[in-house]
Amino acid sequence: MSLSALWAMWELELRRLRHDRLELYTRAVQPLLWIGVFGPIMGSIRAIPTGGVPYTSFITPGVLIQSTTFVSIFYGLTIVWERESGILKKLLVTPASRASLVVGRAMAAGVRAIFQALVIVPIALLVGVRFYPNPLYLLGALGVIFLSSGGFAALSMLVASFLKTRERFMGIGQALTFPLFFASNALYPVAMMPRALQVFAQVNPMSYVVDAVRSLTITGNVSQLGLDLLAILAFDLVMFAIASVSFRRIIE
Amino acid sequence: MELAVEAKQLVKVYGQGVRALDGVDLSVEQGKTFALLGPNGAGKTTLMRIFTTQIRPTSGEARVCGLDVVRDGAKVRKIIGYVPQEMSVWTDLSGYENLLIYAKIYGIPRGTRARLLDEVLSKLGMKGAAKALVRTYSGGMIRRLEIASALLIRPKVLFLDEPTIGLDPSARKAVWMELGKFKEGDGVTIFFNTHYMDEADLYAEEIGIINEGKVVTVGTAAELKRSVGGEIITLSIAGNPFVPERLRSLESVEDVILAEEEVRVVVKDAEAALPRVLEGLRQDGVSVVRAAITKPTLDDVFLKYAGTRFEAGGRVGEVRQMRRMIRRG
Repeated sequence: MSLSALWAMWELELRRLRHDRLELYTRAVQPLLWIGVFGPIMGSIRAIPTGGVPYTSFITPGVLIQSTTFVSIFYGLTIVWERESGILKKLLVTPASRASLVVGRAMAAGVRAIFQALVIVPIALLVGVRFYPNPLYLLGALGVIFLSSGGFAALSMLVASFLKTRERFMGIGQALTFPLFFASNALYPVAMMPRALQVFAQVNPMSYVVDAVRSLTITGNVSQLGLDLLAILAFDLVMFAIASVSFRRIIE
Repeated sequence: MELAVEAKQLVKVYGQGVRALDGVDLSVEQGKTFALLGPNGAGKTTLMRIFTTQIRPTSGEARVCGLDVVRDGAKVRKIIGYVPQEMSVWTDLSGYENLLIYAKIYGIPRGTRARLLDEVLSKLGMKGAAKALVRTYSGGMIRRLEIASALLIRPKVLFLDEPTIGLDPSARKAVWMELGKFKEGDGVTIFFNTHYMDEADLYAEEIGIINEGKVVTVGTAAELKRSVGGEIITLSIAGNPFVPERLRSLESVEDVILAEEEVRVVVKDAEAALPRVLEGLRQDGVSVVRAAITKPTLDDVFLKYAGTRFEAGGRVGEVRQMRRMIRRG
């Protein structure tokens, strides 16, 4: 695994963002609606036990993660585009290993996700969400977002290796993100869900990501953080491994 | 001398049972500019993708500079440059940034990187445009940038898949001028696929003709043309069914090729042979509507070895695809 190739992929993404940031802003519209409209209205009926946290603050980490996961999942679309053009073929013919291409591109989605989060945070502040006032915790949350985005992007590259066309991918992107979102602890505690869904939420990586980010940015209670990080790391490694193996398929 | 590119009984059967390569034998010496010429669907791209380690052959052997492409894939990738048929640069970055990112992916050390990029850009005459986004480039500029990025590591063999597809003649010429400059400096072997006969004719030192998954003949353009025969009398005919035997029996006739409504008579000296050929046909009751004398082209070579005409079908579609990619940006 060549580190220079990994760095190059991240730099590629940073340079792309420097040239064109429009997507970051348009993708911030949906989170704005969640925390600006849905949050306050749902919060006003006080039907959801949030452990004393205002409802809008409770869902902010969930909305943040939903939005950054969306970025990662749709990163597979970039790979589909690069397959249709010659970029992927050319990358495969460089000395960089396939695993480093997969991990590099997946983590490049993490770079994009961090910037997406940085666009949403000021919106949340404007709406009145109060973040846990520890800058180290906030940095840690960005780290968690970066790390988990890699896993989701690898998942989407795995899907891309089967679908291969952008039209098919568009539908799947939605069909992947929303079940992960709704069957997680993003909008409500897992305990409120029907039993079957609770089981799913337990293995849903997004639950762990939301939990980690919520503890770091809102509650400041990091007692579960170790477990969350372990789950995220395991998810990443499994996804990287499967996506690397199936990467051959995308070019055939 | 070690061969730059070598294939032995190479077969590739795709999942759906499509036999893309049907026993290819081929060898290219180092330092040569080699063209693989064939119509769309002949297997050119499949062969190149095997040489560049993207896909594995079903059976047979393929080597680049003596290295087996399956067993030593990683080593092969360190000594080859490759420009795919489709666009292979990021259009939302500048030309300079594209080279920079590729240089980093190739692992070119920081110390030499800046100088190398500067050298490549000035060689390309693209220093002025280096900061502009690639989506503002013309097709020819994009191609030159792609070639430059493939040459960053000074490869031993440069693989180009349809290097000038969709380019107008002047852009095409510019691309080949750049390639010439790099070739002079580094002595790189160039292996390119094309379905443009004139491109193979003009720029290749050696040409291999591929059809339906087989390399049917290899030689210099002059050798190949000579192998068809000296000169060709092309006749459009009408009247009685044409019997080639009589023409073949004429002393000065070397070969007779039938192609649709046309008859091609291969002779050494067309001007001298024409009266005798016409006389022979008249005796059979075949009337000649039109007669023309041509020196052989690669089209004739293709016809002789592949048994069919070189078809340009699908070309328009490819050009359109290329344009769409550039626009998409």
